[in-house]
Amino acid sequence: MLAFGSLAFLTPWLLTALITLPVLWWLLRAIPPAPARRAFPGVRLLLGLTDPERMPERTPWWLLLLRMVALAAAILAFANPVLNPRNTEGGSGPLLVVMDASWASAPAWPERVARVRDALDGAARDGRPTHLHLLTDPVPAEGLSFQDAQTHLRRLQGLAPAAWAPDRAAFATWLDSQDARFDSLWLTDDLTPAPDFVAALQARGSVRIIRTGRPVLALSAPVFEDGAVRASLHRSRADAPLPPLSVDALGLDPNGVERKLGSAEALFEADATSVDVSFDLPLELRNRITRIALPAQRSAGTVALSDDGLKRRKIGLVAGRQAREEQRLVEPLHYLRIALAPSADLIEASITDILNAAPDVVILADVGTVTTEERDRLLDWLDSGGLLLRFAGPRLAQSGDGQLEEDPLLPVRLRAGGRSVGGAMSWGAPKTLRPFAESSPFFGLDVPQDVAVRSQVMAQPDPNLPERVMAALEDGTPLVTGRRQGDGRVVLFHVTANAEWSSLPISGLFVQMLERLAVSTRAAQPEAADLEGETWAPLQVLDGYGTLGEAGLLSGVDGADLISQPVSAIMPPGLYEAGDRRIARNVLGANDTLTPLGPMPATVIEESFDVEEEQVLKPWLLLLALALLAIDILATLWVAGRLTGPRLVSGAAKVSMLALALGLATHADAQEAEDLALLATTETVLAYVQTGDPRVDQISEAGMAGLTLVLNRRTAIEPVAPVAVDIERDEISFFPFLYWPVTELQEIPSDAAYAKLNTYLRSGGMILFDTRDSNLGAFGSGTPNGRMLQRLAAKLDIPPLEPAPEDHVLTRTFYLLQDFPGRYARAPIWVEAAQDLEEVEGMPFRNLNDGVTPVVIGGNDWAAAWAVTAQGQPMFPVGRGAAGGRQRELAYRFGVNLIMHVMTGNYKSDQVHVPALLERLGQ
Amino acid sequence: MSRSIADIAHDAVWLRRDAEKIGGALPPLLADAERLAATVVMGDHGRKRAGTGETFWQYRRAVPGDVLTQVDWRRSARSDRLYIREMEWEAAQTVSFWADDALAMDYRSPKAPRSKRERAALLTLALSVLLVKAGERVALLGTEAAQPRSGETQLRRMAMSMANLSEDRPDFGAPPPARLTPGGRAVFLSDFMGPRDAVFEGLTQAAESSVSGVFVQIVDDTEESFPFDGRVVFESMGGAVSFETQRAKALREAYQERLAERRAALQDMARRTGWHCLIHRTSESPRKALLWLYGAIGGQV
Repeated sequence: MLAFGSLAFLTPWLLTALITLPVLWWLLRAIPPAPARRAFPGVRLLLGLTDPERMPERTPWWLLLLRMVALAAAILAFANPVLNPRNTEGGSGPLLVVMDASWASAPAWPERVARVRDALDGAARDGRPTHLHLLTDPVPAEGLSFQDAQTHLRRLQGLAPAAWAPDRAAFATWLDSQDARFDSLWLTDDLTPAPDFVAALQARGSVRIIRTGRPVLALSAPVFEDGAVRASLHRSRADAPLPPLSVDALGLDPNGVERKLGSAEALFEADATSVDVSFDLPLELRNRITRIALPAQRSAGTVALSDDGLKRRKIGLVAGRQAREEQRLVEPLHYLRIALAPSADLIEASITDILNAAPDVVILADVGTVTTEERDRLLDWLDSGGLLLRFAGPRLAQSGDGQLEEDPLLPVRLRAGGRSVGGAMSWGAPKTLRPFAESSPFFGLDVPQDVAVRSQVMAQPDPNLPERVMAALEDGTPLVTGRRQGDGRVVLFHVTANAEWSSLPISGLFVQMLERLAVSTRAAQPEAADLEGETWAPLQVLDGYGTLGEAGLLSGVDGADLISQPVSAIMPPGLYEAGDRRIARNVLGANDTLTPLGPMPATVIEESFDVEEEQVLKPWLLLLALALLAIDILATLWVAGRLTGPRLVSGAAKVSMLALALGLATHADAQEAEDLALLATTETVLAYVQTGDPRVDQISEAGMAGLTLVLNRRTAIEPVAPVAVDIERDEISFFPFLYWPVTELQEIPSDAAYAKLNTYLRSGGMILFDTRDSNLGAFGSGTPNGRMLQRLAAKLDIPPLEPAPEDHVLTRTFYLLQDFPGRYARAPIWVEAAQDLEEVEGMPFRNLNDGVTPVVIGGNDWAAAWAVTAQGQPMFPVGRGAAGGRQRELAYRFGVNLIMHVMTGNYKSDQVHVPALLERLGQ
Repeated sequence: MSRSIADIAHDAVWLRRDAEKIGGALPPLLADAERLAATVVMGDHGRKRAGTGETFWQYRRAVPGDVLTQVDWRRSARSDRLYIREMEWEAAQTVSFWADDALAMDYRSPKAPRSKRERAALLTLALSVLLVKAGERVALLGTEAAQPRSGETQLRRMAMSMANLSEDRPDFGAPPPARLTPGGRAVFLSDFMGPRDAVFEGLTQAAESSVSGVFVQIVDDTEESFPFDGRVVFESMGGAVSFETQRAKALREAYQERLAERRAALQDMARRTGWHCLIHRTSESPRKALLWLYGAIGGQV
């Protein structure tokens, strides 16, 4: 094979024939076109005449050129040119396959896996030992061990991209400690230059890099700025124009169902690598945003989780003393307002009114007594998770609440009166704060030395006092105490909320403490120092595809690391929690951008993903040569003066005949469609959707054939031979039932096809989706086919689904069934959720609204269980031994029930009443 | 002898029926010729002059010198003068045909309905049918029907000989050196495209033997318009003569000039010898030529 860039010749030696072109040129120039011979009786009259003008005896240059091009095209054609040849990895010896396997690889993951499969297949054929490593995995503990490619092939199906970046440096270091020579195949995600890594690979042998050639997109975390939620969308390369992309803000609606709350369009400027998107949403919606996502490219990078930064709390402020205008700076609420206004919505009203507005926090600044009614309502609100923050003051000190017995609205018992230190009438200097204890929510905050406390209320020394202290003065007296009350909390600052008793409210510490208490939320991304010393437990984490999942057994992360360290296996992107605060750690940090991998050294073989399709150019070149020769014929005739009227007309007639023939050919297509429609409407036909994978299509056909056989034998439904349906091309509305096997590499149908499918589903058709992989995992648990199904079904108009309940009509339309096995058993199937459930005479009865469930979704690989060969023998083994035979029988029974269900609608579910009806008739 | 149209039509129909009855022995050419001949209005075509014959022509007053036996006494008795009874001259005429059957006459351009030879034969036979029906004798020079005869047999013989083509025909034809009946008529049908000397020698010989007649030059349309272009090797029909040109279109003027020259020579000779000259194109209707020929031959006879 001889390659020039993306063009290669499979039989390059034929190209030597091109040398003959100049010779032919000379030959053809020397020989003029042959004259026409014409019998003509008047020839005698011509004898002796001389030609006044001479025709060119040599062939005109353009005709020569035409012939040369035709010949060159023919020679090139027979040299078997191939555009974008699929390079097969040559070479021998061990092969190392490394995949970046990061979130940036997620959009084209199936293609990557397919590429690796190709490479491993090739290695298996050549008997090369291989080693497969995902760079997002930890470096192997043992040494480099090359194994048979087959062992890695088995792993491929289960591989998934991680949500963090590959650790190339660690692998390069590890490689340095290994002693082997090998060729490498690196499927990169095209991000972050890695010259050292390439050098490390190149030191061991040839390196082949497979790049996507597509820009990687990522979203930064959403922040609240200037009254709108803003985020920026980054791309790794600015060289190719991108269509406008839609970014969705997702969140839960009041019913707890995730919905799209807003959508914004992002269009990259010509050379920009990032673009800002903003969502202008009302507060209610904004607080509900859980994440923003880019549906066009699914990966962890294009999902940005939101955290407390977006939340604005509703805070009710109540002061025990009415404000007076001239005394603003000593007003109890002044500093609270200043501290909270930027990040929260404040309500100032009576306690009852505030509680009606369902606040997140209620702050009582120096409120002495509350009425019984207010107390009851406050307690109810506290029990359901409110945060009551109280500040002390003269009124509280005088009220005597909680002095004799514990008051539920105060965290601790208070001593009568208070104390003041450092005043004119007292001994000692004003007290400063003691550094926060580790158990305190304020742990890690810096204590400024200029914060001084002059007066405070004192807590009764109770046995349980120490555990309620959140902050204390240097002499140990509690300054901030708190305790849980129901689901909520009560926190008391033992000083006033103004600067009367202490300088705390006018220090920066005050704001940080409020933040830690989740009273206010921070306006910007926290600094590493802010979270120092805290342990943040992962609550939910993203996988490589950007799907939120449970954190499982992941351990907590240090607060400083959470901010400063990049996401990794021990700290995957997700939602982290400490106390009542949550921080979202996204793939892309606040100031991060995407850097492309950059150009590779010339010695590295590069391969692209975008042009996987191998294009054989031979037919086109031959066609070109033939067309040129046809033109040459006409031109030669014209040059020789033999292209006269009638010939031209007959030539035109031939051309039109050809056009007519082509027309007939298209007509033949139409005829074919008509035949299909006729067959589908005159006979009962089981149809299956063509996936483009010949093996799967073959199994589908055989499966439908097997089911057809059983239906013909056992039931009144007598289908004819099954039909393959091309969703894009064929009319599907004639078929009562479509079997749709889901394959990983399926083309997503066009919008027109979706419109057709939706009409089909609405008008009573049924599609059986089969992911054929329930052996790999439960349905919807992110198997490759499951993901593909999600993508396929995203645009389908599918009603709410539920796992088929025990009394679903499918279990009794013909046979009584408990399970719906195919090749795999005991996996649930999903059907349309029951609309309303009523008990009829003690028997649960589903009123399915005259409808057949429009979709049945499962992964039991039914077609394989039904499939029969042309001789009527089963194609695939099912289960083992007699149990397997039983399972196949049950699979057939499921098929019969399903088709019965399709054909009879709710008739069979009405049959449930037959005994009751008969009984009534008898009476 | 004068015959009505009905008689002639009846004869023609009979001839055709007879031809069919004898199982196709009648060449199709003859049938064609008869159909064509039937369209010509016959009219009175007697000699319209006194002579030996059986039909009464006129009474004329006897003049001194008339033989006494010629006096019709019955007529003379009705007046005071002597009358002589004259009969119409009914001596049969001989019309000799030469239908060129050289290879050149086989030429037929794609658009032409018939080849030149077919047209020549058709005209020959049609005129012969008319002449035979008028009692004349016809002969086809250069064939077995060269002996002037009258009657259906002669017609059939002519048709057979014209249909029966010999293998070794020359490329170009020249009038056969046959002896023409003195005082007879001659019709020469050819394209006169042969070598000038051969053609004109034969014609001169015929014209000089006190025979008057008609030259019919039958040409194909393409022989006049010369619609050729490009590099062409022109060949005679048999391939004996060839001529190569680099650009045929450029020769058109010169060719048409030579053709006109040849025709002028033909017409010049005809004028000198009292012959007539007709140029007939195969694209034209044969009826037109037949009418003209009938007038030219019949009018004189």
